[in-house]
Amino acid sequence: MADPNVPQQPPAAAPPAESSALAEQKPAAAPAAEATPATAPSSAPSGQSSGQSSSVPSRGPSSGGYQGNRGPSRGPGGPGGGGAGGRPGPGGGPHKRGKRNYIRKKKVCRFCVDRVDYIDYKKADILAPFIQERGKILPRRMTGTCARHQRWLTVAIKRAQNIALLPFAAEF
Amino acid sequence: MEERLYDLIFICRPDTPEAEVDKLIATLEHSVAEKSAKIEKIEKWGRKRMAYRVRKLREGFYVYMSIRSNHGELIKELERRLKVADPVIKYLTIRIDEEMKRQQKLAKHRERRAARRPRKPAPTPAPQPGEQTASAAG
Repeated sequence: MADPNVPQQPPAAAPPAESSALAEQKPAAAPAAEATPATAPSSAPSGQSSGQSSSVPSRGPSSGGYQGNRGPSRGPGGPGGGGAGGRPGPGGGPHKRGKRNYIRKKKVCRFCVDRVDYIDYKKADILAPFIQERGKILPRRMTGTCARHQRWLTVAIKRAQNIALLPFAAEF
Repeated sequence: MEERLYDLIFICRPDTPEAEVDKLIATLEHSVAEKSAKIEKIEKWGRKRMAYRVRKLREGFYVYMSIRSNHGELIKELERRLKVADPVIKYLTIRIDEEMKRQQKLAKHRERRAARRPRKPAPTPAPQPGEQTASAAG
C-alpha cells in the first residue's frame, strides 16, 4: 500500500484510535490520517494511499485527497485543514479527536449560500446580524462573508445608517 | 442622459397627520411629473422606530419612493422641497440603477450557467460511489 511513505504515516495509519495521543506530537500527520476515517471509517488504506503516493488516484475520495495534499505541506495548519476537510462526515469525527484540535467549523458566506445578487439597504433585519452591538460593522473574518458580498454589505449598512434604519453607534 | 433609477426615502415627524403626508407625496409626484419622470413605486412604511434620535425624535413616519428619471435637476428639486417641508426630519436619495444593472447581469449569468449545468454533474457524483466501494472493500 504505502510502504515508501515517510515515517510519519505508519503510526497514524495503523491504529486510528490512538492517534489522538499522537496528534499532540505530530500535528502534521495526525489530522490528515485521523480525519479520513471520519469520512469513511473502514477505509484506512485509501486515506493512506492518497496521502502521498499516487498509486491509487481513482480510489482516493475527494476529501481524502484534499487533506492529503494539505496535511504535509503546512504542519501548523493541520488541525484547521482537517476540520475543513472533515466536514462531510462530522458524525464519526469528533469523539476521536483530542481536546486540542477541535473542529473549526468552516464559515460560509451567507449571501453566497442564498445566491444574493443585491444586498438591499432597506432590509435592516438582514443587515442587523452584521453589526456589533455598539454599531460597528463586523469584519469578514468573524462572519465568513466573502469579499464581494462584504463589499456590498458595507455599502448597504452605511446607507441604512444614513436613513436611521441602523445605528451609527449605540445610544445611552 | 440615460435613464436613472433613484430611491428616495424621507421621514416625517411621527405626529404629522397622514393627510399631510399624502399632500407632501402629491407635491413630490407633481414635480416628478413636471420633469417627465416616472414614479415606479411609492410605499408608506408607516411609523417606525429609528435607530437613533433625529431632532430629538425616536420615531418617524417613513415614506419610500422609487423614481426613474433622466433629468438630474429633478433630484435637486425634490431634495429642495424635502428640505423646505416642515414635517420632514430626514431624507435620503440614492441612485441605484447601476447596482440593479449589476444584479440583472449576475442573475442572467447564473441563469445561463444553470441552463448549462445539466450536462455537467456527471463528474461530481462519481467520487461518492468510489467512496462507498472503498469503504465496502475495507
